[in-house]
Amino acid sequence: MVYATYVIWSKHMTKFFRSAEQVIGLAVQSVLWVLLFGVGMSGFIGTVEGFDYMSFMLPGIIALGALGGAVGGGLILLEERLHGVTRGYLVAPIPRLSILLATAWSTVTKSLFQALLMLIVGLLMGAHLVVQPLGWLVAVVLMICFALGFSGMALAMAAQSRSIMGYHGMIFLFNLPLLFASNALYPLAALPGWMQTVVLFNPTTYFIDTVRMLVFGIPPTLPMALSVGVLLLFALAGIGLAFLSFRQSLRA
Amino acid sequence: MPDLAIDTQQLVKQYGDTIAVAGLDLKVAQTTIYALLGPNGAGKTTTINMLITLIPPTSGRALVGGYDVVTQAAHVRQCIGVTFQDIVLDPGLKGREILDIHGRLYRMGAAQRRQQIDLLVQLVQLEEAIDRPVKTYSGGMKRRLELARGLLTGPQVLFLDEPTQGLDPQNRASIWQYIRQLNQEQGLTVLLTTHDMEEAETLAQTVGILDHGQMVVEGTPATLVAALGADVIRLRGNGHDEGIQLSLQQLAFVERIEPGGEAGLWHLFVDDSSRRLADIITIATTNGFHIEAISVAQPSLGDVFLHHTGRALRDP
Repeated sequence: MVYATYVIWSKHMTKFFRSAEQVIGLAVQSVLWVLLFGVGMSGFIGTVEGFDYMSFMLPGIIALGALGGAVGGGLILLEERLHGVTRGYLVAPIPRLSILLATAWSTVTKSLFQALLMLIVGLLMGAHLVVQPLGWLVAVVLMICFALGFSGMALAMAAQSRSIMGYHGMIFLFNLPLLFASNALYPLAALPGWMQTVVLFNPTTYFIDTVRMLVFGIPPTLPMALSVGVLLLFALAGIGLAFLSFRQSLRA
Repeated sequence: MPDLAIDTQQLVKQYGDTIAVAGLDLKVAQTTIYALLGPNGAGKTTTINMLITLIPPTSGRALVGGYDVVTQAAHVRQCIGVTFQDIVLDPGLKGREILDIHGRLYRMGAAQRRQQIDLLVQLVQLEEAIDRPVKTYSGGMKRRLELARGLLTGPQVLFLDEPTQGLDPQNRASIWQYIRQLNQEQGLTVLLTTHDMEEAETLAQTVGILDHGQMVVEGTPATLVAALGADVIRLRGNGHDEGIQLSLQQLAFVERIEPGGEAGLWHLFVDDSSRRLADIITIATTNGFHIEAISVAQPSLGDVFLHHTGRALRDP
């Protein structure tokens, strides 16, 4: 299964790197988000709890990038399904799960590139890194979990959609709403009680909270063990959901 | 290896109230080319999709290469090659990459992949184009690449769903030639579906006509045609249709009359058309049937199809 996943993943990556518009689009999008949104907001807000706003919101922008990436990952599966490429995989002697894992992993890979790029631009624009390589490593692992979880959810929807339009209709949540319903732009404590409850149901919150601490040294508002646990579970749940949805779509 | 490459027993596929395949018993012997014919919606593609493990049967059983398509799907997948009805190629990839990825999914070694790819690229005459992106290929080149992909892993059974649909005669003829060559040289078993009588007649050793999800008739093209009668006279015109049918029916040498699939067209099966033509014209004319055209032919597989399904092949 690992080998089949690797083969399909490397195909996705070849196609991605060969498409200049996709690579440049991803890069420009990342830079623009940090530049326009980040710089604008930091100029306006300045500091949050003693930390510069760029450091505070950069994890949120990275999360937004990963959410957009997950939507794109779903589109890859959807396109392969609609064009019949998936049928080619299905008649090959490979596990069904490897088709999904490959798509999820290519999404995660792109998200990691994007995160790195956003981080570099953010640092140039005044974010302050704390030097703790082990923490960074954990942050990368959490990033992978976060991206896998949402890729899984996007794939679950893509496995059921009958058209690209239908997919976009179902997936509109995967963007700004998820970002606003989290602690990405404002500290948890600043929110009214009902919204805190909403925000705590959003895995994005746990990701941002932990990455703020691991990469930028901003004290977390949630226990780290809880955040790590939530994100690990979320990754498993996302992939599990994608698998169930995909398998169900094959029964037709 | 079992004698039958494909063996189905009472195979059924039902979608809600619609029965796509209704208790099909399909037997395809090893090393034969078998053509499944049928009007649109007859259940050809559904049958193929069950045999290649893409969709599970509602009931019944199907063996491919001796393996059950439900309980031993992994074995089935290992021993089949497939080309789908529509072209399924990643336009951004090069021909060689597509073949290489396919070989890797089937866990072929690097050396074996290189050797097989070279061999097949030569067979389907894509040497010049194989290192170009697929989006620069013509329809015929894409089909040939797909055929090479279907053959890459050395399948025992090759499934071709309408392999030459939409191709020009030249590409069509070359694809037929590759298929026949592989069948003769390597004993490859091929199950193909087609709309094209000429394709079935040139390629297939056995033809099965499917209608409403059931096998209507099966045999070699020659026996199916022979069973229709000696000659067929195609009579086109207008006038009193029932009247002409009745009066012609009474002639001793007319075995039977069938509607020709469109208004005013009749097919008369007779013992010897050249001797009977004059009589038929006389009787038709005296019965008030105005003849526009009349022709004499040996029955073809197309007539077999019309006879058994009541529809011309291209009918919706």
